[in-house]
Amino acid sequence: MKKAFLVISMVLVLAMSIGGCATTGDLEELEAREKAMAAKADQAAMDAEEAKTAADEAIMKANEAIERAEEAEKRADERERIAAEKEKLAEEKAQAAEEKFQQSMKK
Amino acid sequence: MIRSRMIDAAPFFNRVYLPILCLLALTLSGCANMQGFLEKSLPFPVASADKVESNDFVVVRDDDVVGRLASVRLAKGDTLPDIARHFSLGINTVSAANPGTDVWVPEAGDRILLPMSFILPDAPRKGIVINLAAMRLFHFKKEVDRMAVSTYPVGVGTAERPTPMGKMYISRKKHRPTWYVPASIAADHRKKGDPLPPSVPPGPLNPLGEHALYLSRSTYLIHGTNKPASIGLRATNGCIRLYPEDVERLFAKTSVKTPVKIINQPYLVGQRDGIVYLEAHPPFEKSGKANWKKIYAQLQKIEKKSGCTLDWKKIKDVVIEARGYPVPVSLSPDGREKAMAKPIKIWHPRTLYGQPEVPEFTMDAWYVLAATLRDKIDARRLAAIINHQGPPIPARVLSKDDRHRVVAGPFDDKGAAKDAAKRLKIDLELDGVLFET
Repeated sequence: MKKAFLVISMVLVLAMSIGGCATTGDLEELEAREKAMAAKADQAAMDAEEAKTAADEAIMKANEAIERAEEAEKRADERERIAAEKEKLAEEKAQAAEEKFQQSMKK
Repeated sequence: MIRSRMIDAAPFFNRVYLPILCLLALTLSGCANMQGFLEKSLPFPVASADKVESNDFVVVRDDDVVGRLASVRLAKGDTLPDIARHFSLGINTVSAANPGTDVWVPEAGDRILLPMSFILPDAPRKGIVINLAAMRLFHFKKEVDRMAVSTYPVGVGTAERPTPMGKMYISRKKHRPTWYVPASIAADHRKKGDPLPPSVPPGPLNPLGEHALYLSRSTYLIHGTNKPASIGLRATNGCIRLYPEDVERLFAKTSVKTPVKIINQPYLVGQRDGIVYLEAHPPFEKSGKANWKKIYAQLQKIEKKSGCTLDWKKIKDVVIEARGYPVPVSLSPDGREKAMAKPIKIWHPRTLYGQPEVPEFTMDAWYVLAATLRDKIDARRLAAIINHQGPPIPARVLSKDDRHRVVAGPFDDKGAAKDAAKRLKIDLELDGVLFET
């Protein structure tokens, strides 16, 4: 009885040992999967980097465009201000001339 | 076949029908009916300036509006005061009717509105009625079977020395009056370093001009002027000024004892041919509010009584804009108002009455350099203002590179040039420099 129990235990230990041990094929497959995953990760990281660079470039371009637009806007504002000032000055001069004229029309 | 007939017919038309057609055209151009037809159908100006009445109108019973709007294209060298005088309008109304147009240097080729339509003032149609806000005089005359009105633009008193309002009459008339200088004006001139004599005889220096109608309210007159460009301005010491040619006509048609009523009505309502009109002028100081309340009530009453719908938004715009001419404010289903508001296009007259003429630039004469300016428009404006002084001082712009010299003259001698320089200093604060060519 004791012997039988020993034999059964040994068989079980052997079976368990054999069951936990991978074959060479399994290992290769695992390695390949790992490589593929690493490649994918690298690719994803590269893609992300590229996307980031592109986004950064886009942002930079957009910022540049905004800056240029702002500059143009400033120039337009300045031009408008100068034109308004000129117009105001012309109006003031015309008004001053008119006032003098009206004054000269008195007896 | 047709082609050959057409070709064959051409010489025949040229030789026989063309002279006949020309003759027919010439005949028709003299025909009144044809002219009327042309005026209605042609898209370009057809009326000559003398065909548009500016002073004398028949008042149709129940109508309050006389005259019609017109428009004219400006010619090179025109100023608004020149246009105003030619069409017997005040500079106030021509400026108000054409906002944004430079008074002295308007753009040649621009078409401007001539507000030659007027709402009669809300006063008895008897004798002379002067509406200060409109700066316009109305002289009513009852003829055999109708009422006639002659209307002229005027210059009135300043805010400091306003024209008195109320009822008065013409106490006497004087051709070539002497001007006895009032103490207040003498004091003003003394302050400016330009002392005046106690009296100024008739002549170009007399500010009363050639005709004066004395009012029963002592020291106030209706008179001509030696400064025609001041008509339509608040520039007098309370007197009423007219263009020389207008006062001459008024003088001839007005008898002593003619009643005179001076009113101040910036807002006027009138009707003609069933259309309701509103005329708004910039009110003097705080005089507009009470008049507007009255006019508002009158408009409401018209709407209620006549059943015609009024355009209240337009009424508001007319009051705000204060363009100084009657604008239709009623709404009729056939839209007649639009047609009535359309001005008649008129030809520019060959010459404008009273337009200052600048003599040729001559050698052996004296001149006054009035100013040297960088801006040509400013220089042209100043030259125009000098030209429109009373009596006029001839002035022109001499341009070289970016310097524009305003030169007054020619003057026969140094004395005349000195006098002109003195006037430029006193009236326009210009330090002129005399030179001989």
